[in-house]
Amino acid sequence: MRSITAFILILMMALSAHALDGGELLKQVDRNLNPESYESYRKLINIEPDGRKKEYVLFSVKKGTDKVAALFISPASEKGRTTLRLGENMWLYMPTVGKPIRITSLQSVVGGVFNNADILQLDYAAEYDVEKAEETGGEYLLHLKAKTGTVAYDRLRLWADRQRKLPVRIECLTAAGMLIKTIYFKEVKDFGGGIVRPSVIETDSPLFRGYKSVMIFAKIRKKTFKDEVFTLTFMPNLESLR
Amino acid sequence: MARGTLAMLPILALALLLVMGPDCRAEDYRFDDAEMEKKPYHVGGYAEFRPLFFGLDRDAAQYLLKFYNRDEGDTATEYNGKLQLEGSLEKGVGRLFVRTNSDYRNSYQGASFRTTIYDGYLSLKPSSSLTLDIGKKSLRWGKGYAWNPVAFLDRPKDPDDPELNLEGFIIASADYIKSFTGPVQTVSFTPVLLPVYDRVNDDFGTLRHVNAGGRLYLLIHDTDIDLVFLAGGSRTNRYGVDFSRNITSNFEVHGEFAYIEEFRKRTVDAAGSTTEREYDAKSWLLGVRYLSEAETTCIAEYYRNGTGFSKSEMRGFFSTINEGFAAFRAGGDDSLLRKAASLAEGGYGRMNPMKDYLYARVSQKEPFDLLYFTPALTSIINLDDGSFSLSPELLYTGVTNLELRLKANVLVGEAGSEYGEKQNDYRVELRARYYF
Repeated sequence: MRSITAFILILMMALSAHALDGGELLKQVDRNLNPESYESYRKLINIEPDGRKKEYVLFSVKKGTDKVAALFISPASEKGRTTLRLGENMWLYMPTVGKPIRITSLQSVVGGVFNNADILQLDYAAEYDVEKAEETGGEYLLHLKAKTGTVAYDRLRLWADRQRKLPVRIECLTAAGMLIKTIYFKEVKDFGGGIVRPSVIETDSPLFRGYKSVMIFAKIRKKTFKDEVFTLTFMPNLESLR
Repeated sequence: MARGTLAMLPILALALLLVMGPDCRAEDYRFDDAEMEKKPYHVGGYAEFRPLFFGLDRDAAQYLLKFYNRDEGDTATEYNGKLQLEGSLEKGVGRLFVRTNSDYRNSYQGASFRTTIYDGYLSLKPSSSLTLDIGKKSLRWGKGYAWNPVAFLDRPKDPDDPELNLEGFIIASADYIKSFTGPVQTVSFTPVLLPVYDRVNDDFGTLRHVNAGGRLYLLIHDTDIDLVFLAGGSRTNRYGVDFSRNITSNFEVHGEFAYIEEFRKRTVDAAGSTTEREYDAKSWLLGVRYLSEAETTCIAEYYRNGTGFSKSEMRGFFSTINEGFAAFRAGGDDSLLRKAASLAEGGYGRMNPMKDYLYARVSQKEPFDLLYFTPALTSIINLDDGSFSLSPELLYTGVTNLELRLKANVLVGEAGSEYGEKQNDYRVELRARYYF
């Protein structure tokens, strides 16, 4: 009887040693993808089926799990626009309008396949719970469920590289399981300061057949900011952080 | 042999494409340092050409007031050009910003050209919590889209084109921001001083006063709240509050309330006699913004204008014009019309001079897969007299930095109503704007 109990205990310990902690893994993916607080430059390219492109360059800053702000640097028609996200609150400041207005995560300030939630992305662990974690070949597969009804996508299927613990592909789904878009993480690059992550993110969507949007990252640097930077009053002054 | 090589060509080409594919894409995805470079100065702006075509209402009171001594016919054309330039210079904690607006107009009144400094101020930013501004600046207070009853320190915006830049006033102001963890996430305070003297903000109100205003902004429980005030003598004391909140991720609600002490309203009756009344006016606005899954944006706002005219007060103004026109036709006496013109420069000439309005706008992003096209339909309804304006428009932004907008404006209303007595029946305009 004692030997059976010992066997069960050893088996349980062995199993728990191999059990995948999805929540912890998602936090690692978040940290490997971005430092907790950082600044970066991004180029957004919307590509039409006929190959025509529209390009936007943004400077963005992030602090903690729920504060992101971005400033449009080009083209001239968008220059000076800023966006701010505090949790699920989002605002857009246009120099012509002269004051911030509330926007929604489903809208897109630049058009194309990326919406505001994609452009002002928070940590995945801040918005999603891990329902299930699997190992599939050289990848982990995390099944994520939105913590609240205000998150842009109800469900995500996130494939992450097992060695690097970096996302490879994410499928964004509705509550009914309908695919909204797929996001591909490509071209892993060393940005310095210990930041090694994909430098290109592509997305396509069955809802926008033939269209593609691309986000290219540059100059990602760890940096801390005061909380006051992430306020409506500061939105017209984001340029001063560059 | 040659035929075999030819047959292999598509396969070779495909193989070449497969091999070259990633490199070609990498080439496409270039992101040069020059695109991120920050210069200490910036120069930009836009140039605009805007021809208009009007259908005139020759029986309307506003037409008679403007054209009583000449015949403009049934239609009129107008050509507008605009150059808006902005420049900034940054050094250390200081930033100098200037925005000028030059308007060229060629209409029935002849050609005119006017350049105005919209903004021109020095901004000092000793820390991320504090900003000090001095110079000419537009503050744009309020949460409403078409109207802002709490914008005590701004010029009124055009509800027909609410996103246009406005000329500011010469002010000294500060912004102090503090963030917190907890239900109160942000607090910021903006004190403002606005002097009114000869040639300094002299169109703001009574001269020789330094007016003090302020705004306290709070982000509490995911709700934006502003408390605002203005005192000092050039205008009567006024206080206001506004709010904005997302009820769901795609449904926003906002509102404003303004209390204006000792507001003076000058009205005119059908005989041309004017009366002035003083009272405490209350104006408010309640609005919603909704985005559907199909990317249809709906904005609706109800506006109660406590400083506005009632239906009978407005009819008194129109009757004065009609009486004045009859007198002019009978004996050439235009004194009553000149009196009406003077009243129109005051309260009666405001863009929406009456008490109750409803604003509704529906826009659809890229319908029927028409990329970069955004059609919209806007209506402003005067709830007091039932008259309204209806404005369909089509916006195209498919070429980088170029914006094309075709817009029509139809005015509907009975005789004696606000929109029924406007000088136009309809208007069509094309706006081509190039940003640089």
